[in-house]
Amino acid sequence: MTADFLAVRGIRKSFGQIEVLHGVDLDLPAGTITALLGENGAGKSTFVRILAGDHMPDGGTISVDGAVASFRGVGDARAAGIRLIAQEIADAPTLSVAENILLGAWPTRAGLVDYRSMRELARQALEMLGTELPLEAKVASLRLGERQIIEIARSTIGASKCIIFDEATAALSDAEARKLFQLIRRLAGRGVAILYITHRLDEVFALADRVCVLRDGRVSLDSAAGDVTQDQVIEAMVGRAVAYARHAVPPSTDAPPVLKATGLGSASFSDVSFALRPGEILGVYGKVGSGVQELSSSLVGARAFDEGTLYVEGSPRHFRHPADAIAAGIGHLSADRAADGLLRTMTLAENLSAPSWGRLARRGFVNRRKLRQAYCRWHRTLHIKAAASGEQLITELSGGNQQKVLLGRWLEAGSKILVLSEPTRGVDVGARQEIYRVLAGLAAKGHAIVVATSDYEDITAVASRALVMVRGRMVAEIPYERISTEALTEAAGGGVHA
Amino acid sequence: MPDNLQSETLPMADLERNRNRAAIRRAPESAALLAFLVAEIIFFSLSSPYFLTWGNWVNVFTALSITGVLAAGGTMLLIAGQFDLSVGSGVAFVALVLALTIDSLGVLPASVLAMLVGVGIGLINGFLVTRIGVNALITTLGTLAIFRGLTQSIGGGRNIPIANFDWAIWRPFLNIPLSALVFLLVAIMVGIVLKRSVFGRSIYAIGANENAARLVGIRTKGVVFAGFLLSGAFIGLGGLISASQLGSTSGTTGLGLELAVVTAVILGGTSLKGGTGTMLGTVIGLLIVGVLNNGLTLMNVNSSWQQAATGLLLILAVSFDQLRQRLVGRR
Repeated sequence: MTADFLAVRGIRKSFGQIEVLHGVDLDLPAGTITALLGENGAGKSTFVRILAGDHMPDGGTISVDGAVASFRGVGDARAAGIRLIAQEIADAPTLSVAENILLGAWPTRAGLVDYRSMRELARQALEMLGTELPLEAKVASLRLGERQIIEIARSTIGASKCIIFDEATAALSDAEARKLFQLIRRLAGRGVAILYITHRLDEVFALADRVCVLRDGRVSLDSAAGDVTQDQVIEAMVGRAVAYARHAVPPSTDAPPVLKATGLGSASFSDVSFALRPGEILGVYGKVGSGVQELSSSLVGARAFDEGTLYVEGSPRHFRHPADAIAAGIGHLSADRAADGLLRTMTLAENLSAPSWGRLARRGFVNRRKLRQAYCRWHRTLHIKAAASGEQLITELSGGNQQKVLLGRWLEAGSKILVLSEPTRGVDVGARQEIYRVLAGLAAKGHAIVVATSDYEDITAVASRALVMVRGRMVAEIPYERISTEALTEAAGGGVHA
Repeated sequence: MPDNLQSETLPMADLERNRNRAAIRRAPESAALLAFLVAEIIFFSLSSPYFLTWGNWVNVFTALSITGVLAAGGTMLLIAGQFDLSVGSGVAFVALVLALTIDSLGVLPASVLAMLVGVGIGLINGFLVTRIGVNALITTLGTLAIFRGLTQSIGGGRNIPIANFDWAIWRPFLNIPLSALVFLLVAIMVGIVLKRSVFGRSIYAIGANENAARLVGIRTKGVVFAGFLLSGAFIGLGGLISASQLGSTSGTTGLGLELAVVTAVILGGTSLKGGTGTMLGTVIGLLIVGVLNNGLTLMNVNSSWQQAATGLLLILAVSFDQLRQRLVGRR
């Protein structure tokens, strides 16, 4: 057993009156991969930011290599060999791969950047990770997974002894995630202590040596990965045993389809046909890059399609603007909530009622009271954890609650057809279950729902039937009775991860 | 309609209480500006006995009327994440059109024509930005140069007198000139539109996240286009006020107005990133600059120094705001 590189004891942290960490203990041994789990609000990000020197703890100690350390800023933590790889990629897209890997540590000669040794150092860093990238290419031209490799390569520059990954796979395809896992194991093999933060249980067991769970600012589980089951981890996260129970949403056959596609095609997908009836949840499953997201954008008028016909309640429609789709009764959630969903500077009430402003207004003027009432209507139904007034800014909410507000938009707008892209991305276990429950409830009330996702749990939890897309084509339709993780992954062409 | 799931009764008392709390939380942003304005007023009232008189305050507002009308459009555009730098040369061009046509067409037709010219400038800007897709900064920098050049070449660099057009200095009410009343009216109207109308809220939504705004069904290009048209209408109005106040126009009319407008809007708390800001903030921003210039004039400070003081003030205010955000954000 290797010595602990980092030993954390009794870390406490309060923001104002509220203590969010109540004495956290954690050891990070050199060469070990530790997975850190916890629902949103459990204190994970605060804890990580303390380790990275971004927050000062109110109590407790952090020891580096046996000596008590005090980080007064990110610089101190970096000097101690601790690197944080944040969820959002932070690179300089217009610079080259080599410049990005050495960002902040460009070698110089006579005061000028020494490009030759920069390329050499970058090449060495990538070689150590067992990978290659075109060193002269502009980072903007690379795929997301490759950009993440650059972030990791950068974190190995200098004497890094501990690397923290914050939800590293959130935006990666399975192949990219597998590659990332190899890199992480390689780093651990070289004696780096790894702290890997994630929402995904399958990743924990595929990757980690140890599992640590935070709940309400305390460690609720800390064990070798081989000694615990998935159920035990979930129980430690939510305080009760859960699995994403299958909601009974059987397919309907009697009613005429409300949304029907015949031979839809564009640059990203081709020959897509389906029929969606009221009361059904149609799962469209495909990995990142399979065309699922592009398809769902086309269904809601956010992106044009070139071939085929889309019928809404029997009549062919061609949407030129999302407003046309909304007028036809189609509501939607975008895969990227921050970029395409949230009106950041606006309140919950304004966000929820945004598509309905016109209806809630009289002679072009919005009635604020009506907006608040609209919010109140859905606050309880959706279990949004916020003040019932709806006057908070939407950015103050956790991911799961933001998602519920965005879903509320279409309930308030009265949309009978919902096209939901990645409805549970970046959402914690509890909120995820609530979203599934709400979707099943909406289907029971006669809504017709498309769930377009790269997360098979969305499909197994709520879908009435599933279409599987690979490289822009529908390759399989899985009926209600046969939906399972295995059936989905088999149809999509192989194992889930690792 | 939204009654397909269960609705629930509204806990109205709870709702009102929370609303008040939210209002308090939001207060400090404009409160800091207001405090600065008050400090300014106290300082100048101690240094000049004339400062706090009704007549002087009327002067402050009158001096602000052109900048203020233009800043109303500027606030709308900046909240949507857009700029209009063509306002200064637009005002000069509108005034020139009025000066050249007022004798042959008569006062009212020439005024209508001048207003249409202002709207036309907004139309060109809006078309280039929303239909062709040219960045607003570049578009309006271009139209700024074009209309300044046209004004100088057509007007020949002369000072052109405009007769029988002195409505702006009439004092119909409480001894306040009509131009100041027009400014106040525009500010109140734009303030209400921004705060309450679907159009105004759409402007905030576009500034906050243009993608999201489009995806909730807002015709984002149409709204931005309308914003430029309104800014054009305010250019027309500004041109008419300028022509009337000065009784003449020349090639240098309205020079630098675009900077005065941007200064006031940003000083008033509208973010360059869009999505935040209010008309009330802009009025406070206008007053901070206006009171400073007025006070320094009363203290016999040279107008060149006033310009430097305005620039310094802008930088100080924005630096202060950055520091404040850092303190709040740090928690």
